[in-house]
Amino acid sequence: MSGPTLGEAGDIVLKLEDVSRSYQMGQVEVRALTSVSLDITRGEFIVILGPSGSGKTTLLNLVGGIDSPTSGKITVDGIELSALNDKGLTEYRRNHIGFVFQFFNLIPTLTARENVEFAAELVEEPRDPLEVLEVVGLKERADHYPSELSGGEQQRVAIARALVKDPPILLCDEPTGELDFETGKHILSAMKMINEVNCKTVLLVTHNTAIGDIAHRVIRLRSGEITEDRRNTAPIDPQELRW
Amino acid sequence: MKKLRRMLQHKLQRKLVRDLAASKGLFLAVTAVIFLGVAFFGASFLGYQNLRSSYDYTYETLRFADFTIRVVEAPGGTVEELESIPGVAAVTGRMNSDLSLTLPGAEEKRVLARVISLPADSRPAVNDVKVESGSYFQEGEGNVLLVEKNFAEHHGLKEGDTLYLTVDSQRTSFSVAGIVASPEYIWFAKSRQEILVSAETFGVVFVPQDIVTELLGKPFINEFCFLVEEGADRETIIAEAENILDPYVVVDVVPREDQPSNAALSMDLEGFGELAEVFPLLFLIVGALATYILLTRIVHNQRPQIGLMRAMGYSRRQVLVHYLSFALIIGIVGAVAGTIAGYLLSELITKLYTGMLGLPYTKIEMNFLQWLAIEEGLFLGILPCAIAGIIPAWAASRLSPSEAMRPPSPTTGRKPLLERIFPFLTRLSFLWKIPLRNIFRNRRRSLYTVIGIAFGISLILVSAAFIDAIESFMDTQFNKVQRYDAQINFSPNQPQPAALAIEVQNWDEVEKAEPILQIPVRLEHEDNSYSTLVVGLTLNSELYGLFSTSGDRVGVSDEGILLSEGLKKALDVDSGDTLTLLSPWGTQQLEVTGFIQQPLGSYGFVTLGQAQELVGGFPIINGLMLEVEPQYLDSIREKAYGIPGTASVELTGESNEKVEEMMGLIKGMSWIMLAFGAALALAIVFTTVTVNIMERRREIATMRTLGEGKRRITAMITIENLLLGMGGIIPGIPLGYALALLLFRLFQSDMMSYNLVIFPRSYLLTVGLIILIMVVSQIPGIRHINRLNLAQVTKEQGT
Ligand SMILES: Nc1ncnc2c1ncn2[C@@H]1O[C@H](COP(=O)(O)OP(=O)(O)OP(=O)(O)O)[C@@H](O)[C@H]1O
Ligand SMILES: [Mg+2]
Repeated sequence: MSGPTLGEAGDIVLKLEDVSRSYQMGQVEVRALTSVSLDITRGEFIVILGPSGSGKTTLLNLVGGIDSPTSGKITVDGIELSALNDKGLTEYRRNHIGFVFQFFNLIPTLTARENVEFAAELVEEPRDPLEVLEVVGLKERADHYPSELSGGEQQRVAIARALVKDPPILLCDEPTGELDFETGKHILSAMKMINEVNCKTVLLVTHNTAIGDIAHRVIRLRSGEITEDRRNTAPIDPQELRW
Repeated sequence: MKKLRRMLQHKLQRKLVRDLAASKGLFLAVTAVIFLGVAFFGASFLGYQNLRSSYDYTYETLRFADFTIRVVEAPGGTVEELESIPGVAAVTGRMNSDLSLTLPGAEEKRVLARVISLPADSRPAVNDVKVESGSYFQEGEGNVLLVEKNFAEHHGLKEGDTLYLTVDSQRTSFSVAGIVASPEYIWFAKSRQEILVSAETFGVVFVPQDIVTELLGKPFINEFCFLVEEGADRETIIAEAENILDPYVVVDVVPREDQPSNAALSMDLEGFGELAEVFPLLFLIVGALATYILLTRIVHNQRPQIGLMRAMGYSRRQVLVHYLSFALIIGIVGAVAGTIAGYLLSELITKLYTGMLGLPYTKIEMNFLQWLAIEEGLFLGILPCAIAGIIPAWAASRLSPSEAMRPPSPTTGRKPLLERIFPFLTRLSFLWKIPLRNIFRNRRRSLYTVIGIAFGISLILVSAAFIDAIESFMDTQFNKVQRYDAQINFSPNQPQPAALAIEVQNWDEVEKAEPILQIPVRLEHEDNSYSTLVVGLTLNSELYGLFSTSGDRVGVSDEGILLSEGLKKALDVDSGDTLTLLSPWGTQQLEVTGFIQQPLGSYGFVTLGQAQELVGGFPIINGLMLEVEPQYLDSIREKAYGIPGTASVELTGESNEKVEEMMGLIKGMSWIMLAFGAALALAIVFTTVTVNIMERRREIATMRTLGEGKRRITAMITIENLLLGMGGIIPGIPLGYALALLLFRLFQSDMMSYNLVIFPRSYLLTVGLIILIMVVSQIPGIRHINRLNLAQVTKEQGT
């Protein structure tokens, strides 16, 4: 597989065609996602909103290649994910995706910096780990272990870990859920900047409707279906957010 | 309220079942260890009891002597006098002499036969025989004899066969009346010194008393076998009997425990008994350790659940009972299954063992119900699990709910000591850094793994040491000590002139011939005495190798006597001490000049001249050691029979076979032990390694979502395990060595002595095996990790 292509803003980077994901729970079929079709262009900053259980995490997992759809087709940068074997998916995650989990999933034996470096090692041209930590405001705590960091700080390490690989697509599941207002804004600014300067595509899941204002595009999910897909003509700067 | 509680209780049990099912591989592995420990214990404990009772029953039925006194010769009437000693239940007087016996068959074959007289018309009061086939003597039969079973089996002798006994070159024919088992020859030993003797060159036959008298031309008795009344003091009786027999020159007094066959059986049985204790004990310790590890980790991983349970209103007792149940289930399942298996196995062992020894009577000591009733196996299996379980279960019940629900912080949050000491380690690649950190992340968990591996290694090493010891034993006996290819033994009553050696050396077939004179003596030093053989050798004997305890080749000298290592303790002597040698023909005092290695038996070694002094100064020999050209090995026997006094010709290759057969048995047992050791190591390593991997599944899943390949993750796990393996090897090897030393002491006696040698290949085997075990035991864990549903696992909460 070739490395991540930067391409032009406006290219379709991510295409979901009639994607469904259901879970068979004994007799009952839980439909987490139903017939979702989406075209996402490079450089878009997308906020995904929706109540709990509406399928947000499922959508991110499918795009991130750690889950596969029951039906439908997902194409990323011209690569069809369902055609990839395990090795191919690993490569794909390594080179295309930066994940920020709802639960931070840091490696407890590694310091903040090492957690970031650990991800950096996986790609050929990573960003400087310390620099990325500075972006999330954690340069000072770089040599601390996760157990010595607060929940919000751990979350920021998780974000830095996603950024350091410099992936074309960032998938963030509630990245600001644990953060206070100021830090949250700071992180969102950092993401917005990465999106704008480096032309990264960002999918950000949140419960917080207000955050939708900073996005180029807001997608609303309800019971596994897209109920709204609107463009923001004038996204605001995260610093101007109020919630 | 009550109803609610019952419901909760119900759910708790469901959780127990679910948790057990979720880690069934682990629970099975730990249960298997307990099962094996209990089964092993039951089998060996009951097997030991059965063998003991079978021996006792055989001895009782056949009236095996409490002690035996040998004299030069005494008149038959002495028996009545001895019987009148208070406390004596019965006395049998008999003639016991070694004669040359010729076997039937196309090719002449001679063996040295121990000819023992039995009453012609009745059974002996002491040391009876069990007729296995044919019949006991009947009146007016003439020249008949009974053949001892081991000997008969080896040569395929049966009733009606004709054998010849030779006395003073006079051959007399005998007809075999029956095959008998004797309590004195259950273990086919010629003497205490020769407990691994081949029936190829040595045999035992029983001949009617009157025929023996006729054959030897002497109406005498030279052996008295005593049965002592219950409660009577044997030592007093022996003293009294010795007093009465004094005029006939007492040669030897052999109490039952020193009787060669019985002593060999006891040594064997005691060794078995010790193993029967040590091995199951190790299993149960390891089982307890594994239970403890497993439970500690379960409690650790379920902290949030425990917190939740407590927050919801479960009592401390409920939590305690819940977690203790895991351990008790392991213990109960393992113990019950082990008790049953152990019982069944003990019957099998008893049958195999008594069958192999040809024990005339077998007696099963305990039936299954009796076994269950004493419940030792059950108790032994459940107790260690209960002890191992109570600690983590107690800890779980003491957790404060709020604390438990907070995600645990397993890391100390400090740079590992190792990296603080060796800063370069910080710059290692993550492939090495992560495994290293993991080891120090949870030191207690790593310690368990290391202990488990150390145990496994020591078990494997001990078993390997047994195998090595047997090989080195064989090597010493047959390549270093017995350097001759054949030995001619002359009849005790027909010694040959020393000059015969020169004559035989001139035979075409013979490269070298060396004379040997072996005399039964009693060695005395201060209050200790020991009956054995003194071997007279030429000054620079090449065919009988003597090696000092430090391994140097030494030779006999006129300055004194060399003793086998085993006698140092038996006689409490040291170099420079003076020893008294008593033979029926004379007494001699010699200085102990040194000690030598002797795997089989414990002799004294002197010059031929010194030995001849002990028989009255006659220049005689009773054996010739030969170095024979290989192509003549077949014909040398026949040629040697041409010498009139030849009682038997022993080919080293043949006796080697017999010893090898015996040793093969011990070797087989050692291999079984090794397999058990390896299985034990596998169980404990599997438990710790799997627990280790499972605890980090979320972390590993995260690495995979970052784009780490499976292979690199496998490599990290393997590196971590191998590093822990190294950590276990370091204490494991000395531990195994110490254990081997301990066990070897049990097998050390004047009859047989092993040296603790561990060949380098055994260390390699042990280390190789443990690495293999480590790699194999991580396979299930890694397979699990590789099949993880990343989407699901990354959603799990808690670090
Ligand atoms: N492994 C699974 N098995 C069964 N059902 C699942 C599984 N994963 C998710 N679901 C179901 O699919 C639906 C969507 O789940 P998803 O995790 O995507 O929700 P979400 O929008 O991320 O919710 P939240 O905001 O609470 O994180 C839910 O109803 C959930 O119960
Ligand atoms: Mg979610």
